[in-house]
Amino acid sequence: MSLIQMRDITKYYQMGDHTVRALDGINVHIEKNEYMAFIGSSGSGKSTMLNILGCLDRPSSGQYFLNEQNVENMDANQLAVIRNQEIGFIFQSFNLLPRATALHNVMQPLIYRNVRWSERKSLALEALRRVNLADRVHHLPNQLSGGQRQRVAIARALVTEPSILLADEPTGNLDSQTTVEIMELFDQLHKDGQTLILVTHESEIARHCHRIVEMKDGKVYRDELQSATA
Amino acid sequence: MLFVIFESTRSALSSILAHGFRSFLTTLGIVIGVASVIAVVSLTQGLRASVGEQFSALGSNSLTIASYTPIQDQMQGRRARLTADDLELIERRVDGIASITPILYATRSSQIRYGSQTSFSQIMGTTYAYRDVGQYYVHSGRFLANSDNDTRRRVAVIGEAVRDNLNLPEDPLNEYMELGGEWFRIVGLLESKGDIMGFNQDDIVLVPFATMQSIQGNQAQTDIQIQLRVSDEASVEEVSRQVTSILRNARGIGLNDRADFQIQTPEQLMETVDTVIGMVTVVLGGIVSISLLVGGIGIMNIMLVSVTERTREIGICKAIGARRHHILLQFLIEAVVLSLLGGMIGVAFGYGMGALIAFSIPGFPPANVPLWAIALALGFSGFVGILFGILPAGKAANLDPIDALRYE
Repeated sequence: MSLIQMRDITKYYQMGDHTVRALDGINVHIEKNEYMAFIGSSGSGKSTMLNILGCLDRPSSGQYFLNEQNVENMDANQLAVIRNQEIGFIFQSFNLLPRATALHNVMQPLIYRNVRWSERKSLALEALRRVNLADRVHHLPNQLSGGQRQRVAIARALVTEPSILLADEPTGNLDSQTTVEIMELFDQLHKDGQTLILVTHESEIARHCHRIVEMKDGKVYRDELQSATA
Repeated sequence: MLFVIFESTRSALSSILAHGFRSFLTTLGIVIGVASVIAVVSLTQGLRASVGEQFSALGSNSLTIASYTPIQDQMQGRRARLTADDLELIERRVDGIASITPILYATRSSQIRYGSQTSFSQIMGTTYAYRDVGQYYVHSGRFLANSDNDTRRRVAVIGEAVRDNLNLPEDPLNEYMELGGEWFRIVGLLESKGDIMGFNQDDIVLVPFATMQSIQGNQAQTDIQIQLRVSDEASVEEVSRQVTSILRNARGIGLNDRADFQIQTPEQLMETVDTVIGMVTVVLGGIVSISLLVGGIGIMNIMLVSVTERTREIGICKAIGARRHHILLQFLIEAVVLSLLGGMIGVAFGYGMGALIAFSIPGFPPANVPLWAIALALGFSGFVGILFGILPAGKAANLDPIDALRYE
């Protein structure tokens, strides 16, 4: 069984009298250690796709199996457990806790797994080492550069050893030099066996991926493999 | 669950510290409420402890029987009386009496004179047994003796304050003082007992009961008091009950009629003091619950602001796996910790204030904060935290993660 199986996923929003079909019959399978990107213009449904993939939202209909678990009928708390166990989020605007140091930000998801302080700390330090931030663990987010903040966010996503890393425009707020660094980090994570799913509208970013799914009007418009160019 | 509470407390503390001044202002309502209650409780409890000590020094196992005339009867010229017959009756029929004595207070004049010095004092006609009942012991000379009573000797035992007021010599024995136109020889000086509730126990002149009766004249009319000390094996309540039933019987008082005598025990006085303190405490409790209510609303207000401010943080935590109870507990514990901190500062502050007031008023007993008051103050402020924290915490826990993440 694939890591992710989506069967006929739809997501409708009611806007006044007419229904918006944000997702309209999506069928996608994603295997372990895939390195893929969802691309598309704004309004194509890729953000909704990301919310449903990341179990932040539930589809209106259709089946979604994540790591052999049917997410369909889970309540908010069960979805929170899934997010904690299976998914590592990386956001465009980093979304770090502003009053917590890099170390505490990375330790945060482990609290929800009832991991003890000393173990949390050693796991978080290990994750920060993987993103080359071992020397800045006690800095607050506003003392770090954009690239460093995004690497803290990646460490926070990695520390729980999730099944998938889900990145939403991960380089949208970064300059070109930092973008290259972050993408190299993603390439490295893929080589280490991590499953990566990116959502982006930049073709530069998508070119790193081995599979590109283009979305249009809530449907899969194009789904093709490409040989790595990076 | 314990792990979650522990982690939530840690995060609540760091969040409170991050907004130190705001947290302090938030909890100020609680601080003031708790401080005022602790200050007043510490003063009243200090007062109560010192009154209690004085009463136990007085002898908590003695009781006084006196006649009682309602005002209406007094206006009609009727007066209830206790007589020597009643004394005899009680002495003969009541069990558990260690010693018993009649007391006759001077009614005509309580003026005393020595040389050219005059003064007023409490003059009591009593017997040898008063030494045991009233716990008065002589410093020098002797106490009243039975033979003084039998032969109606004109002798007196005086307190230290009387000696001082009349400018009597250091050793006043065998001096003569004038008392209601009669001359009495001083045979004993009492040990000093100090003040009790503003009444100087050393300002006292004791003369033989029969002597007092004879100089008052009109023996059939005299209204005496009876004081007795209950023996160690008997209980004050039991003796008091026996005395009541015997006296009611002897006087033919009907079941539903008011007795024309009353029995006073030191416990009753203590109870009166307790009632007053209890009333003060209740009134104060009302005021304090209002101020705690106001403090709690202040906490709720700031917590609601804080939830809105941290909407995005809540979204982040939910995205990385926080469940409903994680968020709920974090904000609830923050509210409880805030109000508990307020309570603790309030207890310390209130005790300081109480101690300062007690110290600056001369003769006021030291402030005393009983543990129950501290426990109650902290318990109540914790409860206020839960009560007013649950709404903001619930609001935070029910946020939708997508909306919360999008919040700017």
